[in-house]
Amino acid sequence: MPEKVLDVEDLHMIYAGGVHAVKGISFEVKQGESVAIIGSSGSGKSTVLRCINRLIEPTDGKIFLKEEQVNTPHTDVNDLRSRIGMVFQSFELFAHLRVLDNITLGLRHVKGMGKMEAEEAAMSVLERVDMLDRIDAYPGNLSGGQKQRVAIARALAMKPEVLLFDEPTSALDPELIGSVLETIRGLADEGMTMVVVTHEIGFARDVADRIIYMDQGVVAEEGPSSIINNPRTERLKKFLSSLHEDEVVEQNDVD
Amino acid sequence: MGLTMFEEDSRLSDSTRMRGAAHIISISIVILLLTSVNPSQASDFKSSWEVVESGTSEDLLTATEIEGVIWAFGTGGAMLHSDDNGITWAAYDSPTTSGILNSDSGFGSLLVSGENGLMMLRKSGEELWTDIPLPEGSIVNGISLTGSETAVAVGAHGTIWNLEGGTWAETNLSIESDLLGVSFLDENLGIVVGSDGTILFSDDGGESWEYREAPEGAGDAEIVSVEFYSPTRIYAITNDGRILISMSNVVTGTDVGYIWTLVEFERHYPAGSNEYVLGPETLDVMLTSIEVVTTSKFLMTGEGGYISMSINGGTIVSQQINPLGNNSDFNDIVMLTGFNGVAVGDGGKILWTENAGADDQLGFVVPEYGNFGVFVDETKAMFLSGFIATLKIVAFGIILGFLLGVTLAMCKTSPTSLRYVVERYEAKYVRLVGIPLLAGGLYLFYSAIPGASNLGLQGIEYVFLPVGAPVSFAKILLGIALLFLGTLFLSNDGNFSKVRVGPFALNPWRVRPLNAIATVYTDFFRNTPLIVQFLFIHFGLRLGALIQEPGLEIFSFDNLENNHNFLTDIIATYDHSEGNYGTLIGGVLYDSAFISAICALGFNSGAYQCETIRGAIQAIPSAQMEAGRSIGLTYLQTMRRVIMPQAIRICIPPMGNEMVNLVLNSSLAMIIGYAELTRQGKLIVASTFQYAYAWGMVLISYFVVTWTLALILRWLEEKTRIPGLGITGGE
Repeated sequence: MPEKVLDVEDLHMIYAGGVHAVKGISFEVKQGESVAIIGSSGSGKSTVLRCINRLIEPTDGKIFLKEEQVNTPHTDVNDLRSRIGMVFQSFELFAHLRVLDNITLGLRHVKGMGKMEAEEAAMSVLERVDMLDRIDAYPGNLSGGQKQRVAIARALAMKPEVLLFDEPTSALDPELIGSVLETIRGLADEGMTMVVVTHEIGFARDVADRIIYMDQGVVAEEGPSSIINNPRTERLKKFLSSLHEDEVVEQNDVD
Repeated sequence: MGLTMFEEDSRLSDSTRMRGAAHIISISIVILLLTSVNPSQASDFKSSWEVVESGTSEDLLTATEIEGVIWAFGTGGAMLHSDDNGITWAAYDSPTTSGILNSDSGFGSLLVSGENGLMMLRKSGEELWTDIPLPEGSIVNGISLTGSETAVAVGAHGTIWNLEGGTWAETNLSIESDLLGVSFLDENLGIVVGSDGTILFSDDGGESWEYREAPEGAGDAEIVSVEFYSPTRIYAITNDGRILISMSNVVTGTDVGYIWTLVEFERHYPAGSNEYVLGPETLDVMLTSIEVVTTSKFLMTGEGGYISMSINGGTIVSQQINPLGNNSDFNDIVMLTGFNGVAVGDGGKILWTENAGADDQLGFVVPEYGNFGVFVDETKAMFLSGFIATLKIVAFGIILGFLLGVTLAMCKTSPTSLRYVVERYEAKYVRLVGIPLLAGGLYLFYSAIPGASNLGLQGIEYVFLPVGAPVSFAKILLGIALLFLGTLFLSNDGNFSKVRVGPFALNPWRVRPLNAIATVYTDFFRNTPLIVQFLFIHFGLRLGALIQEPGLEIFSFDNLENNHNFLTDIIATYDHSEGNYGTLIGGVLYDSAFISAICALGFNSGAYQCETIRGAIQAIPSAQMEAGRSIGLTYLQTMRRVIMPQAIRICIPPMGNEMVNLVLNSSLAMIIGYAELTRQGKLIVASTFQYAYAWGMVLISYFVVTWTLALILRWLEEKTRIPGLGITGGE
């Protein structure tokens, strides 16, 4: 039985405006497991992800990273975040830094590495995402797919215990999605523990060990990736059928 | 620049470098033009002095005026007088053949002294001279009447004679110094000068004398002549070409004659030239006599035919053209009015003038300021010093303003709320802390009441409480803050919920203290006029002096004597040369007005820069902060390494505005007496009356500064431009 890496218990999030975005969600992620969270816009997927590394403060509930509770006022939130990698929908590379410096920033100022050591570590993760040839480029000169791969490398460089992906391909042109998904798939194959919020249903089905379908702030259906093909609930069925048919088919073809 | 912005530019860095070089060249040209204009030659000068016929060839050694008649006396007992203001002269049948060396008039009487103890008095209303001789062999160097029949004479080895009741009483001060000159303002106040820097003062008609200290540097000077001109001013001269001045000081309540200073010469114009000597130590001539005509205008004679005049208390001295050439010595000058008078000299020579210094065409050399070349040449030193002074406050002001601006902007955007501060502690501990806070707040209120109520303010007048009772005001503010915090902490139940006040639901836990402090600061400095801030900071708070005094104790010469370096020199520079070893000659701490000006400019600019930088910080997508935090950087690390580098790039153009504003605002430093460009311009106008030239040059000088600054910022903008960050139009 693999170790539990992430444990979310009865998570609630009420935004300042009174919107109850997440209404009591519980799930757990085991070592080496990749979990995909799917659901329509506004279902609270991204909120869950942001609560996990406390970019927003959950209103109620408990989140554990391994044995340690994440959401207490006493948590060293900086140390916590260095253990939880996050990849954003819109990449959020540091525009004023070259690719290499984007990655060494955290290594040097969070992990306290020296310049040489940090650059070596950065080169090795850039090699993993196949971006070694653009280390001197500024983010503004990269394509979306390249940016996202650099962003993945940036998260990866910190050697996180779990990696969170917040719709990593939503901001990409269709022809660029492939390379990013390929990178994520590679990480999953290497045994990286990850939680992926995604709209790429085909990708979720192929890569994720488990799928969580969220609807209106609650988990509507949860199960192995096979639930995409055989949804048990009406809500998931409806959601899947509302997606562009071509997209599902296309993903099927690719695989 | 404008055009090239739109051009396709594939080799950005090369073209940037070329543009930079072009700017440097054009700026250099402007500066060269400003400083290197050669003066055109001035027009011919002619003397305002005319030679008049004296009818004698004796050396005329002294002259004086009484009841409109000018008398001149000299060797061989020569006596001349003129009753038409010095144009024609008649010989007077002299009762003596001894040389007459000194003369004085006053109280209707005329007194002369000479060789071999000669002393003659011509009493008020009498035609004849009365002989009141001193003992044979007495050497008299100076005489002064203290009444119609009383007088004081001074001589060698500290000897003083007092004339009273028709006889001389001799007093010998036990000093070696020779007394060389005496002058009485009225029957009581008198001054005696002599060698070794001797200055004696009497306020009882010469019965007793008090020693007065010569100014530093004149302790061994031979003070040859003195004139007690008015109850506020005494002038004296030395035989090595220096002028001593003593003034009464209303502020310190010091009477005239107590404090003596050496006049600092700014310029000395040789005769018939506008090529002056800048800031000479001495006039380099053996001065012999001084004639004061107004508080600040006087004429002097010296050896080598030297006659000179100053109209500003000696700061600028102009040698007069001697129509006889400089071979013929003049020994004394008598002025009937400010412009009309005579100079008497060796060989019976008499010069007469009726417009001494009244007209720049005549004798007194005033440069032709109307000629722009001359104007620039005459004033460029002042412009340059003002220019450098402006650059100095601008440089320090920008540094202070930027540091303040960044700090304030960080405070304003800081998310640190009260909730954030206390939520990590258990509610009961927070409530416990609330008790002393509440008590402290109440105590502060209680202790502030007497100070505030004793002022006797009524109603709206309480607006001025911060001025009348600053301590009480601070206590009240702090009291309010502590009461608020105390109440809030006491009511803490761990929920940090809103408080409903009537129709409003507020959450006091969301108050951000750093933001509040920064907001008060920026609101205050942006809502009061800068000129008043200058006045208040310098004269009200005396901030400059408050920083200067302790600063100079830390950066004293003792501490820096052997270990001064580039940085300490910026703070305080001391002279290490032989002459004035250890004198403070520069650095920030040199001038309290400079410190105040930096503070006022920096504080004000900081408030504005804060808003500019805050705007730029807010323009950075919040996800950049999230990205930085998500890899484990702290808030401040993310600010420093991620947000600020991008925000500063964005705000370079508006910061250019702020900095140009700071340069232009620096001109207000003139009102606190800091000698920056505008103040120098004003001084130049005051002495040249060339309004258009002076203010035009000031304008151009400011333009040079701001334009250079703008070019630097433009260059910086291009240099730090990051591909993909913002819309620049340059790509």
